[in-house]
Amino acid sequence: MLAPREMSRLLIAAQKDQMEPVIAELFRRGVFHIEDFVDQGKEGFEGFKIGMPLPGAGEQSSKLIKIRGIENTFMLDPGVFEPKVKVETSRMKDLIEKELPVVEQMVEDLVGDRSKLEARKKGLEDKIEELRPFTAVPIGLDLLQGYRTQTVFAGFVARNAEIPIPHETYFQPSKEGNLIVVVAPLEQREKVERILLDAEFRPISIPKEQGAAAPRIDEYRAEIADVEQQMKTVDTRIEEVKLNHSEFLLACDEFISAQVKKNEAPLRFATTNLAFVAEGWVPSSEVKEISDSLSEKTGGKVFVTELPIDIKEHAPPVEYQNPNFAKPTQMLMDIYSRPRYTELDPTLLVAIVFPIFFGFILGDLGYGLILLALSLGLRKFFKGEEGVMLLKVLRNAAISTIIFGILYSEFFGFELPWPPILPSRHLNIGGEGEGAGAAIPELLIITIWIGIFHITVGRILGIINHARQDHGSHRTKAILANLGWLMVMWGLLIAIWSAFPIPYMPNLTSFPTVAFGLNIATLIGGIMLILGILFIAMENTLEIVEIPTIVSHVLSYARLMAVGLSSVAIALVVNFIAIGMIIEPQLENLTPVGVVIVIFGILVLVIGQVLNLLLGIIGGGLHSIRLHYVEFFTKFYKGGGDKYNPFGMKRKFTED
Amino acid sequence: MADAVMTLEMVEASQVGLKALGAGLAVGLTGIGAGVAEMGIGSAAVGATAENKDLFGLVLLLTVIPETIVIFGLVVALLLLF
Repeated sequence: MLAPREMSRLLIAAQKDQMEPVIAELFRRGVFHIEDFVDQGKEGFEGFKIGMPLPGAGEQSSKLIKIRGIENTFMLDPGVFEPKVKVETSRMKDLIEKELPVVEQMVEDLVGDRSKLEARKKGLEDKIEELRPFTAVPIGLDLLQGYRTQTVFAGFVARNAEIPIPHETYFQPSKEGNLIVVVAPLEQREKVERILLDAEFRPISIPKEQGAAAPRIDEYRAEIADVEQQMKTVDTRIEEVKLNHSEFLLACDEFISAQVKKNEAPLRFATTNLAFVAEGWVPSSEVKEISDSLSEKTGGKVFVTELPIDIKEHAPPVEYQNPNFAKPTQMLMDIYSRPRYTELDPTLLVAIVFPIFFGFILGDLGYGLILLALSLGLRKFFKGEEGVMLLKVLRNAAISTIIFGILYSEFFGFELPWPPILPSRHLNIGGEGEGAGAAIPELLIITIWIGIFHITVGRILGIINHARQDHGSHRTKAILANLGWLMVMWGLLIAIWSAFPIPYMPNLTSFPTVAFGLNIATLIGGIMLILGILFIAMENTLEIVEIPTIVSHVLSYARLMAVGLSSVAIALVVNFIAIGMIIEPQLENLTPVGVVIVIFGILVLVIGQVLNLLLGIIGGGLHSIRLHYVEFFTKFYKGGGDKYNPFGMKRKFTED
Repeated sequence: MADAVMTLEMVEASQVGLKALGAGLAVGLTGIGAGVAEMGIGSAAVGATAENKDLFGLVLLLTVIPETIVIFGLVVALLLLF
């Protein structure tokens, strides 16, 4: 709990001829996190070199590239594809030799056909574009070209041009541009050209076609339709191939990827001419099993030993170890940073507190039920691992929202038939609310209490972290500094409580006065404050400028109330506009027009509530996680651990 | 000045009004302040994240630091109103 999985450092050494069985066994077990050997004069590793890949790696890599190419054309994602049956690995080799080239050829042909058709369609479309301006010209296109003594200009002009030489012209003004076709004697070409250029002439090429433009366009259109038909056939063929062979392709991908991984593993080992050494991490609980199985597979020709861990030099990889309900929250942790091996892993705390914050903010039975339905219903569409985790986080948050909705007595902003158990958030929108309205000061104080406790927990975790990670005088100072921060916060609180009575907080104003009109609580608070500041200054004097953050961080928790109230306010306003202002006045005296207005009112209600729910999810989620990242984690959490990434792979499409 | 005499009700009402005005100013101005402050940090943060995704946690933290100003404004507003 609150700690990552315990790791042990293993060293595996054997003769080179045992490399293959060792790699195969490590891959099968999938628990060994290889620490890459770096060829830089590591102590004790003089004369070692990075290993060479096992034979066959290059060929398999190129096969893999081909398969991935096909997967790309099919837009296949192994992460979201659910296989129906798994292929046995013993059959895979045979299948890859025989069936894979057939499928590859088939796909290549189809894709080739398709791109040919596409090119043809493009060509036809270009021809139509060329012809289009000439649809207005009343003579055949063959009459506009092929003269020996005449020259033909066709193009667009800004205005009609007067040409003072014998010629024939056709002018068609239009919005897109004024089409002009001029036929003039060849010897006058330059003159005509100049005149046309003065009229901002933009020439267009005359298509080499017979007859009028319009019927030609129709012919080409028919041809395009034909090509499109053919494309459709090819597409259905591609779809068919995709349907029939996706699973096989992904299985090949997986199988060959596994081969490549295995063959390339020696690149991460240290080798000599005759032997190799692999260093890495395994969970401590697996050490015995993996040592036994390795020596069994190699007939005892392998040396496996557990190395001592020097935390300063080797950072063990980090694998979370959490109860099931907290696992989805690991995603939220990874967004920030994975904990270091020696650090407390706060995932469990986040998994508990995040939904509570979310529920406190959104707190509405109706929204909670919708969110719960969404998080369960969307599971079919989210197939990637991260998506599923996100949905599970959302599910936990939704359950909490439902509970808080009951406590707040809220249902889409309406009041449920019981009075709120927590302080009410029902604002008096439109002056129509009943009862006392929202109990804002109470809510404010509750959120501040939450802040005080959350930060206190953070600081205590900080003390534990420093006690575990640091050494010598630095350790004492760091612990005292954290204690100092706690003392400043609580000292300040006690001093405030002894001066002003605040609802929902201890009242220390009636304590006996000691000196200077100050009561005993003020004095204790003051002493704590000063001691705390001293402790902080002892570690780092500059930290003193940070002391105001104590106030700002605690007050920051007021957002739990503020964001929540704003979403309640929006819900109330939407309800008031839709029901109070649009629907109800019509219902008193229903007319046909009234029915339309009522439907409009319902529309306003639904759109408003959906928007508010979206805002609520974004606001509730972001602000809850922000309170963790900024206010909570800064007290104790550094992160920056390496992900535990064991050698091996999760197999989805193949099995032994 | 037409009629400078103010009744007690008028004084009370204007007190309530000025309080509301103050509360509005407290939230509104701090909101603008936080927005201006987050503008620069936010754009730099997006740039940094594009370069290195691992920075996300850190830059998110930096981006939301000025948000506290609004919370202060909000607390002041609530204290004024209630």
